[in-house]
Amino acid sequence: MGDKNVLVIGGGTAGLSAAVELANLGVHVELIEKSKFLGGHAIGYTCKAIENTCVKCGACMVEEKLQSAVFHPNINVLAASQVQNISQNNRFSANIRQESLVIDPEKCTNCGLCLNRCPMEGAILQGFSKNNHPFYAVNIKKCLYFKDRSCTICRDECPETAIDLDKKASEHTIEADAVLIAIGFQPFNPKDKPYGYGRFNNVVTGLDLERMLKQSGRVKKPSDNKLPQKIAFIQCVGSRDAKLNHLWCSKVCCGSALRMARLIKERQPKTEIAFFYMDVQTFGKDFEPFYREAQKDIRMIRAIPGDIYEMDDRRLKINFVNNSTHETKEEIVDLVVLSVGITPVEDIGTMSRIFKIGPDESGFLRTDHNGVFTAGTVQGPMSIPETIANSGSVAWKIKKYIDGLTIDD
Amino acid sequence: MKKQTLILGNGPCAVAVAENLLTVGSKIIIATKDDVGGFIGYADSEDLQILTETRLVSCQGSVGNFRIEATQNNKSVTIDAGRIIIAEEDQRTSNFSRYGLKASSNVIPLSRMKILLNDTSPEESVLSEIKKVIFLTGIVKESTPVIANEVMESSLLLQKEFNIQTYILTKNLKVAGDGLESLYRETKNAGTIYIKFTDSLPGIYQEEDTIRIEFVDEITSRNFRLTPDMTVVDETIVASPYLTDLTKIFHIEADADGFVQADNVHRYPVLTNRKGIMVTGPSRGILTDDDQRIDAENAALAVTGLAEEEMETKLEKAEIHSEKCIQCLNCYHLCPHHAITLNERVEVEPDACEGCGICTANCLGGAIRIKNLNLQAILHQIKTGDVAQAEQTFTPLLVAFCCSRSAVQARELALCMGHELPLGLKVIQVPCAGAISYDHIFAVLKNGADGIMLLTCHKGNCHSERGNIFAGQVVKLIKGIFSIIGFEKERLSIQTLASNMGTEFSWITNRFEKTIAALGPSRLMKNQWPENQRRPNMKGNTG
Ligand SMILES: Cc1cc2nc3c(=O)[nH]c(=O)nc-3n(C[C@H](O)[C@H](O)[C@H](O)COP(=O)(O)OP(=O)(O)OC[C@H]3O[C@@H](n4cnc5c(N)ncnc54)[C@H](O)[C@@H]3O)c2cc1C
Ligand code: SF4
Ligand code: SF4
Repeated sequence: MGDKNVLVIGGGTAGLSAAVELANLGVHVELIEKSKFLGGHAIGYTCKAIENTCVKCGACMVEEKLQSAVFHPNINVLAASQVQNISQNNRFSANIRQESLVIDPEKCTNCGLCLNRCPMEGAILQGFSKNNHPFYAVNIKKCLYFKDRSCTICRDECPETAIDLDKKASEHTIEADAVLIAIGFQPFNPKDKPYGYGRFNNVVTGLDLERMLKQSGRVKKPSDNKLPQKIAFIQCVGSRDAKLNHLWCSKVCCGSALRMARLIKERQPKTEIAFFYMDVQTFGKDFEPFYREAQKDIRMIRAIPGDIYEMDDRRLKINFVNNSTHETKEEIVDLVVLSVGITPVEDIGTMSRIFKIGPDESGFLRTDHNGVFTAGTVQGPMSIPETIANSGSVAWKIKKYIDGLTIDD
Repeated sequence: MKKQTLILGNGPCAVAVAENLLTVGSKIIIATKDDVGGFIGYADSEDLQILTETRLVSCQGSVGNFRIEATQNNKSVTIDAGRIIIAEEDQRTSNFSRYGLKASSNVIPLSRMKILLNDTSPEESVLSEIKKVIFLTGIVKESTPVIANEVMESSLLLQKEFNIQTYILTKNLKVAGDGLESLYRETKNAGTIYIKFTDSLPGIYQEEDTIRIEFVDEITSRNFRLTPDMTVVDETIVASPYLTDLTKIFHIEADADGFVQADNVHRYPVLTNRKGIMVTGPSRGILTDDDQRIDAENAALAVTGLAEEEMETKLEKAEIHSEKCIQCLNCYHLCPHHAITLNERVEVEPDACEGCGICTANCLGGAIRIKNLNLQAILHQIKTGDVAQAEQTFTPLLVAFCCSRSAVQARELALCMGHELPLGLKVIQVPCAGAISYDHIFAVLKNGADGIMLLTCHKGNCHSERGNIFAGQVVKLIKGIFSIIGFEKERLSIQTLASNMGTEFSWITNRFEKTIAALGPSRLMKNQWPENQRRPNMKGNTG
């Protein structure tokens, strides 16, 4: 006990939960995360409690897992890191490349001056959780210094001299007895759907809305920062779609969208909300009463819109076929929220190659063989609570494996 | 020495829990109120003991040291266990009455259809006579993916193996489960016809042996009448009634439907309000077979984790000073973690105590102490006069009792995000807002606070389940006193937050500052301040 090492790839809900469970069993965990911040998609989600009552969206559980992971003595985190290659010879030996982290966590006090002073939009990234320290990161893809050395404002003005723009990337080797792939999902990119995402400012995704609510507590139209009077949610964007060969329900979007819709109704009661859907999925134990209340405030329309146009005043015209009258109808709104689904993440390709395991027919990755495991939404759609349960069960399997208690076939 | 783990139940979930624990060499004892069930073929050994026909009667002790009394065929037995895992099976009720139907040879529940499909070969089955089958599911009340899966699988078999035309009548088809959307497509390709209702409902008529179902199809607007040879009615999955006994015996919280896990995200997946008692699968909710297996593994993990982990030492635990205890037993009744035991004396089980402080706030004898809730220490944090006052404007001293799990975290996030917080805000971290008593509130008022906030977790999100509700009651009562004595009620406020609500933390505290600034300094302060130190508009306050 205590001398076993597990490499966890991906620091989202799944990677963090599994890491904490393993660490609690006395296993040492090396957690590597591709992005600058831990927490994955869900760390940017808003609390959707209404009437002072928790609606069980699960967002705060991710915060809790993140906190346990970063303070756990058995977990070592490498952010901005990726596996270069891996070899297996009883144990695994992985070469990891860590991008330069520019801001020194020891010195940074999260004053936020760099973000305020940076002339380049998107070059200083802001985190979502106080448990990600530093709360800010330099995005070397946007930063002018990395482009042509033309700007050093943040370095010059940082009162703690925490910024080192010349900091080099580093290489690490990690030896491990087992590997967990927890690289999560890719939100469906709706730019090829006829909904104008990427072209019309006021068409956003469910993920954008989660973050907007978490950051500012309100929904505003991206075009002018004013409160929208009318919002439409469109469900199943990229899910349950035979044309895309996406033959799965993403499970989480009905819950996320309806909970956000009710939250908006509570905070901005004058907003009218229309909700386009195929079937409303059950979420949570209190679904029936929750849904009953939702139907009072939200206009439910059982249709999936054909397309969306932007009008001269930037309002959006949604065309759909009314089921009972067969007429083409239109709905004019200020903001459209596309409930984009969970799809296989790009790096499944890389992982398949590195570990020589193939994805399933939908493109997701599932394995628990020969010391390589997967957990969370890399396996397919899951909610946060499901991801946590799934990761616990995988942590248990890993523990059995490294203790030699698994009979592999 | 690790004590054995008690597993309750005899179904697949209980077996999965047992299997997992046996693999890692844990000692287990299984108690089932019925026969061996899924444990058939298992023999008692050094690591395993099976007690059949055994019902629990009572449970004493706490994590690591439970002592359970049970009856086995009218004899009483005692079981000692370190942990307990509840894995009782659920039950089903048929939804005939919801559709105004009565069971008959051609109106059957879903489980019966599953048996018909499993038991016989196509040629000799009663199904061989049948041409048309209708499934009614989730029409009056919403269904679940577990039931939808069974309906679609049955319908697929009927279409494929028996060449029977099937219809599925439903409202919202529940496909939020692994593989269900492709199963739905498969049934459609195999010929199943789906009829979905949104605002309308079908008319269902049962006359002797015939069933007639009439409806307007919402897509084609045409009237339809179906007369199936067989109608299959869906079922509702409900908690085993034995669970009601278990919740009382173990003092654990149940959800609105009687499953033994409060609907609280901090308990997911398998925890209860009591340390060392876990709940899995069909005892905690409506779960698929896969999810039940996952639960079993999480329970095994929780047992092993708890056993290996040094019992948490960071937490400040409650201590009862028995010379002051007047045996009111408030602590015993209110402790959400059932950490108080009654022997000769009232005592706290340190291993079970989560340090929430709810007992201290409600102890009539003032006998219970938790170090970080000590009044002197709290008052020390809000020393009068701490708030720097500007010339003209009044900066109120705002004391916020913040729950360590939610509001304290939210404040840190607010600071990271760069939100401005009120200058005079003093945050006092408490383990749970339920630990705040009248004493705290009045002492803080007396010591200079112009306004007091209790910032708790949202309802249903409290780690101690009702700590926030207790806090709400305290606030309500004190506000009642305030209105009698003519003190501004607005000076006391309770609000809820989650750990990830940085922006909302700043809204709430800044709004409160505005309210209090408008009221001016608290009149309780007026005479306690030397003239030269009085705050700017204190003189204007007639109080
Ligand atoms: C719009 C939307 C709303 C949702 N709302 C809710 C909700 O309200 N409630 C709920 O329960 N669930 C919700 N979900 C689901 C929730 O997001 C997931 O359950 C959860 O994020 C899954 O966590 P994960 O760790 O599997 O994946 P992710 O969150 O995707 O995390 C994966 C992590 O792995 C990292 N990574 C990726 N590739 C690599 C690599 N090659 N090397 C290293 N690291 C890598 C990523 O950077 C990321 O940090 C929602 C989903 C969507 C799309
Ligand atoms: S589960 Fe969601 S709604 Fe409930 S407190 Fe946590 S973040 Fe808020
Ligand atoms: S502090 Fe909380 S958990 Fe501990 S004995 Fe008191 S009420 Fe129970």
